[in-house]
Amino acid sequence: MPLSDTLRVQLGHGSGGKLSAQLLRDRFLPRFDNPILARLTDAAVVSVAGGEVAISTDTFVVSPLEFPGGNIGALAVHGTLNDLAMMGARPRHLAAGFVLEEGLGFDLLDRIIATMADAVREAGVALVTGDTKVVERGKAGDGLFITTTGIGDLEPGFRPSPDRAAVGDLVLVSGPIARHGMAIMAAREGLGFETTIESDTACLVPLVERLRERVGESVHVLRDPTRGGLASALNEIAQVAGVGVVLDERALPVPGPVFAACEILGLDPLYVANEGVLVALVDAKAAEAALGALQGHPLGAEAALVGKVVRDHPRMVVMRTGLGGSRVVDLLPGDQLPRIC
Amino acid sequence: MKYLSEYRDPAVARALIQRIKTSATRPWTLMEVCGGQTHTIVRQGLDELLGDAVEMIHGPGCPVCVTPLEQIDKALALAARPDVIFTSFGDMLRVPGSECDLQQIRSRGGTVRVVYSPLDALELATRNPDKQVVFFAVGFETTAPANAMAVWRAKELGVGNFSVLVSHVTVPPAMTAILDAPDNRVQGFLAAGHVCTVMGWKEYEPIAARYKVPIIVTGFEPVDILEGMLLCVLQLEQGRHEVENQYVRSVRREGTRPARELVERVFTLVDRKWRGIGEIPRSGLALRAEFADFDAELRFGLGDMHVSEPAECMAGDVLRGKIKPHQCPAFGTLCTPERPLGAPMVSSEGACAAYYNYGRLRTGAGAARA
Amino acid sequence: MCLGIPGRVVERRNDRGLPMGMVDFGGVKRECCLAYVADEVLPGDYVVVHVGFAIAKVAEEEARRTFEVLREMSQLEELDWMREVADQGLSGLEGGAARPAEAATSEPAP
Repeated sequence: MPLSDTLRVQLGHGSGGKLSAQLLRDRFLPRFDNPILARLTDAAVVSVAGGEVAISTDTFVVSPLEFPGGNIGALAVHGTLNDLAMMGARPRHLAAGFVLEEGLGFDLLDRIIATMADAVREAGVALVTGDTKVVERGKAGDGLFITTTGIGDLEPGFRPSPDRAAVGDLVLVSGPIARHGMAIMAAREGLGFETTIESDTACLVPLVERLRERVGESVHVLRDPTRGGLASALNEIAQVAGVGVVLDERALPVPGPVFAACEILGLDPLYVANEGVLVALVDAKAAEAALGALQGHPLGAEAALVGKVVRDHPRMVVMRTGLGGSRVVDLLPGDQLPRIC
Repeated sequence: MKYLSEYRDPAVARALIQRIKTSATRPWTLMEVCGGQTHTIVRQGLDELLGDAVEMIHGPGCPVCVTPLEQIDKALALAARPDVIFTSFGDMLRVPGSECDLQQIRSRGGTVRVVYSPLDALELATRNPDKQVVFFAVGFETTAPANAMAVWRAKELGVGNFSVLVSHVTVPPAMTAILDAPDNRVQGFLAAGHVCTVMGWKEYEPIAARYKVPIIVTGFEPVDILEGMLLCVLQLEQGRHEVENQYVRSVRREGTRPARELVERVFTLVDRKWRGIGEIPRSGLALRAEFADFDAELRFGLGDMHVSEPAECMAGDVLRGKIKPHQCPAFGTLCTPERPLGAPMVSSEGACAAYYNYGRLRTGAGAARA
Repeated sequence: MCLGIPGRVVERRNDRGLPMGMVDFGGVKRECCLAYVADEVLPGDYVVVHVGFAIAKVAEEEARRTFEVLREMSQLEELDWMREVADQGLSGLEGGAARPAEAATSEPAP
C-alpha cells in the first residue's frame, strides 16, 4: 500500500508543506531538543556576553542558478537578511558556505558573486567569513549550493513573533504574490513558456524599518512567505498562535501574467514561492498606518490588506471566495505539481 | 484573461444562483461528469451557495482517479528501469500504485520527469538518443488528440527511442454505466466541456433520449457551471430531456474533426477497467496495430500485473456518486492527501481531495488536523 | 475535461510540416500545436489550448452574444434584489450575496 512515509527523503520534504514539517518534527527536533529551536522561528534570539542577538541560517539549492530577476546569490543574501528582519532584528554580519561542482563555469560563478556583493553592500552588512568546497561532477545539482548565516541586533520593544498573533489583527502583504515561483517555473525546461515574470527577490529590511518606525509594537507577526507560499506561512502562524485566519480572495494582489501562468499549469498562487514579499499581522488600530508605511516605499507600493485573524476555526486558514462562498486553505502535503485535469 | 476571467464575474454568478433557486420547484439531483468541474464547484463553494435547490453528485470524470491500478504499476515498473526516462503529466506523480508512487520511484533513483505537453516528451527523446523515453498517455477524449499526435510524429520522424504507456478512457460509456445502475439518483448531467470540444455532442443525443435525462455541455468556470445547472433545472422543470450546449464559445455539435480523425487513425476502442468501478465495455483506447512499435507495454514486455487495493478505500462508491467523500470512514483519518489510500484523494480534482482541501469547514471534518 | 485555457494566436509557423504557433495567454506565451485548427485560425484569433494543443477556435461572436444575455439577466436580478431590500428595509447585509453595485470584473490587480 502506497504511503508517503518511506525509508527515504523525497522531493516533497523540501516543499515547505506538511512533509517538511514532519521531517523537522520527527527527525531533527527530537535530537536537538531545546526551547529556542522548539519555537521554530525564522531566526533565533540567543544570549551572548553583553546581551542578545538574532541568528539565522538558510540553504539555497535553486535550479536554474540564474533566472529572470536574479540568481542563487541574490536569494542567498536576501533570504537570510529577511529571516533576521522578520524577527525584528537589524542584520549586521553574514557568513557564507559554498559547495561548488567540478566543472562549474567561472563566468557564472563570477556573476553570482557579483550579485551577492551588490546585495550585501546595499543592505549595509559585510560578508565576514565563509567556506568553499568542491565536489565531483554530478554531486551538486546544477553546480552550486550556498548556505548563508546571518547575525543581527535586536531592537528594543520590537519583537514580532508568530505566537503574538491576536484575534482582531489584520493581515497585510507588502506586494504582489507568486512572482518568484512562477519565474522559476517558466525558466524550467519542459514547461518552458515565455513571460515577463521576474523573481521578486529583494532585501526587506527597509520595509521592516518603516513599519518599526511608524507602528512599532503593533506589528505582532512578520513573515516572508518563501517556499510553500502565502498559504503555508499563514497556516504555520495560525497553528503556532492557535488562531483562525480569514483571507479575502479579491484582495490578493496577483499580477496578470502570474495569474495566467498559474491558470495554464493549474497552480494556485497561494502556494507559490515569494522572495521579496512580507506578510504582517498588525493590531487593527495600527493597520492603516502600517499599510501607509509600506506603500511609501517602492518595494511596498502595492501593499494590500488581505485578511484578518479570527476566533473561529482555530489553526485553520479559510478564504472567502469572490462569490461569497468559503474554502479551506490548508498546508499541501508536498510541492504543487502542474496538472492537466 | 479574456474568455476566462469574465466567467468568474461575481455579480453574474450570484444572479444565476438566484435564478436557479427561484426556478426549481423541487430539489433536483444532477451530476457533473468532469473533475475540473468538481474542482470549481467545491473550491468556490457553489454547492453551499445553492442550498437545497440542487444536489450535485460528483461523477467519475477524473482520468487520474480511474486509471487502472495495473497501469500505475506498469508505469512504476518502467520508471524504475535505469535505461528509461519516464515522462508524465504532473497529476500522475502521487497516485498510489500497489506498492508506492512515481515520486517514490524517483527518490529510489528512477528518472521521472513532469512534462506539460506530450510533444515535450517526444522532444526529450530526440535529445536523449541513448535512453528510452516513455510517456504516460493518460486522459479522456480531450487529451487523446495530443497523445495521438505525439505517436504519429514519432513514427513520421522516426524517433525510435520513444514509446507510450496508454491508459485512455471515454466518457459516454461511463455515463450509461451510471444511468444503468439500479440505485441511480442522477436526473440530469453537466457534460464535460473540453471532452465535447473535441468530440462534439452527437453521441450524447441517444443517451438523453433513451434515459430521458437532460445533458448540458458545460464549461469550467463558475458562471459556466451555474449557467449549465440553470439550463438543466429549466429542462427538468419543463419535462424536457435534450442535449443543450452552454459552452458555446468552445463547443460545436461536430466537435473538432481533424482531432477526432487523427485519434481514430492512431487509437482503437477497447474494453477498459476503471479503477474503483470495474470493467466498462468499449470505454478505453489502445494503439492500433500499425503503431504497435510505440506501445511501451509491448516494447518492454510488460505482462499482467498482480495488484492489491487497500480494503478501506471506497473510491468506487465515491466515483459512482453513491457516497460523498466525507461519508467514507477513512476520510480525513486513515486517508488524507499526504497518505492517500486511493486516487480521488491524490488528484487535485478528485472528489475526495476537493472535499478535504476546500470543504472541510462544511463537512465537519474541520477539527481534524495532521 | 479540464485545463483548457483560452489564448490569442500571435504568430504561426511550420515545424517540419506540423503547424505550430505562439499563443499569448494574458501575458504568458507558449508555443502550441495548431494542427487541429490549422484551417480556421489566423494570428489574432483565440483558441482553447489543452496540454500544448489548440483543440478549438474560440467562437467569439457566440461568446459575446451569450455573455450579453447573462449580463442583462444579472442586472434584472440586481433590480429584483434592490426592490426586495427596499421592501424589507434591510441594510448593511453581510457577505458576498449582498452588494448589487459591485464591480463586474474579477480580473486580479495588475
